[in-house]
Amino acid sequence: MKRFALLAWVILAACARSAPPPAPGASSAPPAVAYEAHVAAGGIAPAGGVLSNPHAGDAAVAKSGAQLFAAMNCDGCHNVGGSGWVGPSLADGRWRYGGADAEVFSSIYFGRPKGMPAFGGVLGTDGVWTLVTYIRSLPMPSDVPTESWEQP
Amino acid sequence: MLRLPAIRILLSCAATGICTGMAYAADAASGPVEDGQWTMPAKSYAATRYSGLAQINAQNARSLHPLWSFSTGVLAGHEGQPLVVGETMYVVTPWPNVLYAFDLRKEGHPLRWKYRPDVSSNALGVACCDAVNRGAFYADGRIVYNLLDGHTVAVDARSGRELWKTTIADMSNGETVTMAPFVVGDHVIVGASGGEFGIYGWLKALDLKTGKIVWTGHNMGPDKDMLAAADTFKPPYDGGVDVGAKSWAGDTWKSGGAPVWGWISYDPELDLIYYGTGNAAPYDPEARVGDNKWSASVLARRPGTGELVWAYQFTPHDNWDYDATGAMVLVDLTIAGKPVKALVHFDKNGFAYTLDRATGKVLVAAQFASVNWAKSVDLASGRPVIDPARQTGVSKGKVSGVCPSLEGAVSPASPPAYSPRTHLFYTSTNNLCMDYAAAHASHLRATPYIGVDFAYHPGPGGNLGAFIAWDATSGRRVWEDKESYPSWSGALVTAGDVAFYGTLDGWFKAVDARSGQLLSKFKVGSGVVGNPIAYRGPDGKEYVAVYAGIGGDWALLAGDTRSDDPTDVREPAEFMKDIARHTSQGGIVWIFGL
Repeated sequence: MKRFALLAWVILAACARSAPPPAPGASSAPPAVAYEAHVAAGGIAPAGGVLSNPHAGDAAVAKSGAQLFAAMNCDGCHNVGGSGWVGPSLADGRWRYGGADAEVFSSIYFGRPKGMPAFGGVLGTDGVWTLVTYIRSLPMPSDVPTESWEQP
Repeated sequence: MLRLPAIRILLSCAATGICTGMAYAADAASGPVEDGQWTMPAKSYAATRYSGLAQINAQNARSLHPLWSFSTGVLAGHEGQPLVVGETMYVVTPWPNVLYAFDLRKEGHPLRWKYRPDVSSNALGVACCDAVNRGAFYADGRIVYNLLDGHTVAVDARSGRELWKTTIADMSNGETVTMAPFVVGDHVIVGASGGEFGIYGWLKALDLKTGKIVWTGHNMGPDKDMLAAADTFKPPYDGGVDVGAKSWAGDTWKSGGAPVWGWISYDPELDLIYYGTGNAAPYDPEARVGDNKWSASVLARRPGTGELVWAYQFTPHDNWDYDATGAMVLVDLTIAGKPVKALVHFDKNGFAYTLDRATGKVLVAAQFASVNWAKSVDLASGRPVIDPARQTGVSKGKVSGVCPSLEGAVSPASPPAYSPRTHLFYTSTNNLCMDYAAAHASHLRATPYIGVDFAYHPGPGGNLGAFIAWDATSGRRVWEDKESYPSWSGALVTAGDVAFYGTLDGWFKAVDARSGQLLSKFKVGSGVVGNPIAYRGPDGKEYVAVYAGIGGDWALLAGDTRSDDPTDVREPAEFMKDIARHTSQGGIVWIFGL
């Protein structure tokens, strides 16, 4: 388990950091790409770093992810069902660091500022994808930005 | 006549710019002669939160009004209380634990300085419930307080310069620090939060001059870890060699919680400090068979050496997250015609206890809120008479309708006050019951070690909270002011016979200490979970100060009152659907006067 997790880490690190081999006619300057999204606040993942969930939409995996959510004490911060406690709600359809599978994967695998631990080391790639599959299976409410106490 | 010495003390403070320390507690019940200051969290070593000031009284309190306010710039729950030393008010914020020093001599109270420590944001993920701080302690020209990420700091009260910073707690083991330190002589006494992280709970003493750790006493474990010696450790009921380890299945004491996040008090005559311990971890009691001593207990130690002198467990084998970290108030009472050196404690478990503080023996134990987990407390054995139907555990599944809820019949963060004039205690209460389904939890360092699914319901009567007056000699409620929401603020009572408290929906209230009649109220901008104080300003007038700033427990508040994070939008709590209609987050220091 541990070795597997380490291997996964090495592969990921390699994916993230390896540069393409120098091509004939290589330039000392980076390629000029007029792509404004690259300067957007919040950052854009490099094209080579896109991950895909091998279990996307698999209900059986989501079910074991629910068990993992309790066993890894995720519910201790995000509450049972991910409804939020000292950690943010995971069931409101809104995402601090993005709600795409790969973004949720990164949050769990590497951790996030303000206290989200990095679980990649203990769970390994497949464990994290199992959790992602569970979280993405939570029933998301339609986004209703208004909360009213007046009678309609 | 009492005024003269008080004014002289104040003048000497003014002349030097800072006071050199307060008089030793002459009388444990009423504290030192009133000097108009508020130099420690609970006003006196006896933790009475009683001010001898009487300018504001039951006749004129109707004209109380706000005179000054200041936004702390921080949005977490503002528990704790300001200090007033000489002509300076000191305010500690929740994480990132900024310390503000306000000049009370000048119009608008501009800052003399502010101190901004470098506090790790990782602590926000290790604190169980919110990034709170319960205040500072003034001693020997220093402001001493704790940082959420496991440090204690001493700051020069005059200049704001950092004098020392000591690492006391280990976040990688689930420890954070939210309590206010307590200074006795040369020792700064501190403890750590982490009952939800399976810590090995402890109390430490640091040297006030240097910050060096002098002693560490654990709250459970073998006698040597607990600083308990067979000839000097005399618990009033059950003890025995290594009872702090033997009352836990296997080595479960090593991750058994029993944190220290509440208040400490001190009796100079007996030379004992008193403090409560939190819940046993995890929340599934079947994972830690036994009494789990000394979780959910009060411990009495020598401040100089840390030696454990006695301990009493309010909730043996805690099944319900009934922390005993609430204040231990030291008062001299007359019970059945006999004078008693008493310790009075309002526990999360719904019983108010009056103990003999020399021995730990229970004299009175009575329900001050709706309780059904136990029928009574047997005074001969000191043990609660438990209703087996309310016991929890994984094998029992969901146990419904347990009262009080795991928020407690009162939050330990909401300390009571005692008036030697009315001989009554004043405290906030919660009227909540719960369904409790224990679940397996695995102990993974620095992650929560809890294991429960729970839901709250309003208790009998439907009001979710109250502010009450209590007679600790008879165990009787004298009056009650019902509140629509859980009552989460500390209490203050003054020689003007006025009691003060705040509400979760953001009212700050003054009531007649004898009748409970409302005298004045003001909407302070956010729910109140802090503790009011009274002080005499440089102009000789009496003022009352309190924090507004809802928070402290996002399980209770459901996060519906938050507006600070567009990516965290929660459903209202089922049991309290409209609290967000009346308040949202904020962090404001208020001063009231006539």
